[in-house]
Amino acid sequence: MKTRRLKMINIRRLPALLVCCALLGGLLSCGGHGNLDKAVRSVLVSGDTTRAAYDSLCALVTANPDKYSDFVTAEGRVDHKKMYDLIEQIGSSLRPPMHWDTRPYGGVDNLSLTVYFERSGSMVPYDSRGGGGQLKKAVNDLINHFPAGSKVDINIVNDGIYPYSHSVDEFLQDRDIYASTAGTGDASYTDFQLIFNKILEAQRPGNVSVLVSDLIYSPKDTHGVSLDKIFNEENSLATRAFAQYKGKSVVVQQFMGDYSGKYYPYNGVPFDYNGKRPFYLVIIADNDAMDQLAQDSRYSGVLDANGVRNSYRFNQGSSEIDCRVLPEWKDNAGRFRVKHGDGIVLAKCDGDRQTGKLCFSLAANLSGLLKDDALLTDVANYDVQSIDGYTLSIQPIEPGMVTANNKEYLEGMTHILTLVGDLKSPRDEVRIALRNELPAWIHESSSSNDVSAGGSFATTTLGLEQLLSGMFDAMKGGNNFFEIVIKLQK
Amino acid sequence: MKHLVYLLVGIGITVLFFILSCTDGFNIWEVMYFNQGYNDKMYNLSMYPVIAAITIAVAWGGAAIYYYAINSVKFDRWYHWLAVLGVVAVLAPVICYIYNDTVFADNGLMYVGESIQFEMQTVLFAALLYIIASFSMRWWSSNCRHTPLPQ
Repeated sequence: MKTRRLKMINIRRLPALLVCCALLGGLLSCGGHGNLDKAVRSVLVSGDTTRAAYDSLCALVTANPDKYSDFVTAEGRVDHKKMYDLIEQIGSSLRPPMHWDTRPYGGVDNLSLTVYFERSGSMVPYDSRGGGGQLKKAVNDLINHFPAGSKVDINIVNDGIYPYSHSVDEFLQDRDIYASTAGTGDASYTDFQLIFNKILEAQRPGNVSVLVSDLIYSPKDTHGVSLDKIFNEENSLATRAFAQYKGKSVVVQQFMGDYSGKYYPYNGVPFDYNGKRPFYLVIIADNDAMDQLAQDSRYSGVLDANGVRNSYRFNQGSSEIDCRVLPEWKDNAGRFRVKHGDGIVLAKCDGDRQTGKLCFSLAANLSGLLKDDALLTDVANYDVQSIDGYTLSIQPIEPGMVTANNKEYLEGMTHILTLVGDLKSPRDEVRIALRNELPAWIHESSSSNDVSAGGSFATTTLGLEQLLSGMFDAMKGGNNFFEIVIKLQK
Repeated sequence: MKHLVYLLVGIGITVLFFILSCTDGFNIWEVMYFNQGYNDKMYNLSMYPVIAAITIAVAWGGAAIYYYAINSVKFDRWYHWLAVLGVVAVLAPVICYIYNDTVFADNGLMYVGESIQFEMQTVLFAALLYIIASFSMRWWSSNCRHTPLPQ
């Protein structure tokens, strides 16, 4: 009798128990993710967005090709496009959304390098036997920072462009490059119009061309021609050359090298000079190739090479900047909540209880702009617009600032932009823009007189500003390098 | 029939609770406690669905144990039911805290104070879900179906 009653009870309560078990099982199963999703999420959250991390994700796919058949091509290889799409999809669902451009890892061909080595009379003293050899080192470093197997060509330029007759290895080992190339072309003048036209004309997609030069314009037949006229000519030829070829990016890097020998001034008497002199690497590539050069870690030593004193990237438009609001930051004052979705929106803003001010910081990745820190951290170069008059301060991110809790926000970022203002308006819009202007170092490194070695001769180049401003005029695409808009809501 | 409706409503509320634990725009775990950095990490590490599942499992599991395993006339008073509620309200946040701490530690993060404050919500949610679970499943209990309120 007792057993029968128990059985009846069990049968009666069975539906409730089954439904409960099904509910719990359903809830637990729908919260799960595939291992690949989980691994991608973990990489993004930890900020370990490196090639090694990407390779480990690919290894997960190749170890389980049946399970991850969507990410395998018909040939049995990892489908990098689909991997990129998955990473973008997961990254965009995070707080804040994260982007990891894995395309350079996925079978993209190496960039090729073409070096144009100027061999004019005023360049020879940079590689004298008694000097520090900074010029040759800069070129050797450039070549060495391209991955093994990259196609490298070397040319000698002065009145024209002449192929270097030896191998790349011989060039790297050559201790006296100007002696071994003696007799190549006419070293008495440098025709930039011809050189730039030839470089731009010869450039193919995926090629990086680098002119190694002192950037002193010394054309033929200048007897009696005023310096102003030469400067104007130089400015026009640079504008004309680069305006013809759209979609190009140019990076000018300034180095300092030991100079020991005769200097040939414009309309002056040659004189001996022993000391430092600037020289330049002019890196020319299509916009996408330049972006790859800036972002692909395989080329990390090219644009941030040792010995670069100043550099500047000539763009053709404003760039998208990756930036994130820092919810936990030492300078933050008042309260706000970051809304997730399109654009940067700070909702429920509340001023500091004591001062009434709202202070918030953003971490931004400005490395893609290829501008030096002096330009990026000088607030005078920025336009900041808002109703409540927010003011901006900028500082580069240093390793000591990164903690475990803020690593996710600071990883891959280069600068902290801090805004502070009185929170008065119920709705405000803060616009930050970095103006597209020639940096101050170009003006400071330019001279209009080189007849003697006095004054700023050691740090200046005749007519540099005219030449580079000509390039700037040709390549200036917009008024700003980037613009960030932050919406504030009380 | 009426009892089945109670059960389905209870399940519906619980599923809704779980769904609102997974959403980005409005997340039920961010209503009463919000610390941007902490909550973003919880979201990015997919911890909300897991702590919601733990809370639901403990609450519904506690109710199931009370009504079908304990299920004794010796324990059919309201304070017996309340004692189980107390156990559920303590056990759920403790398990969730251990889980949070483990995941944060695995990712090199440290959020002790924030986690303790956050788990205060779990006390409340676990208690509410235990009440919902009780009124969903008590009807089929042979000895405790009148607890905590007479049928």
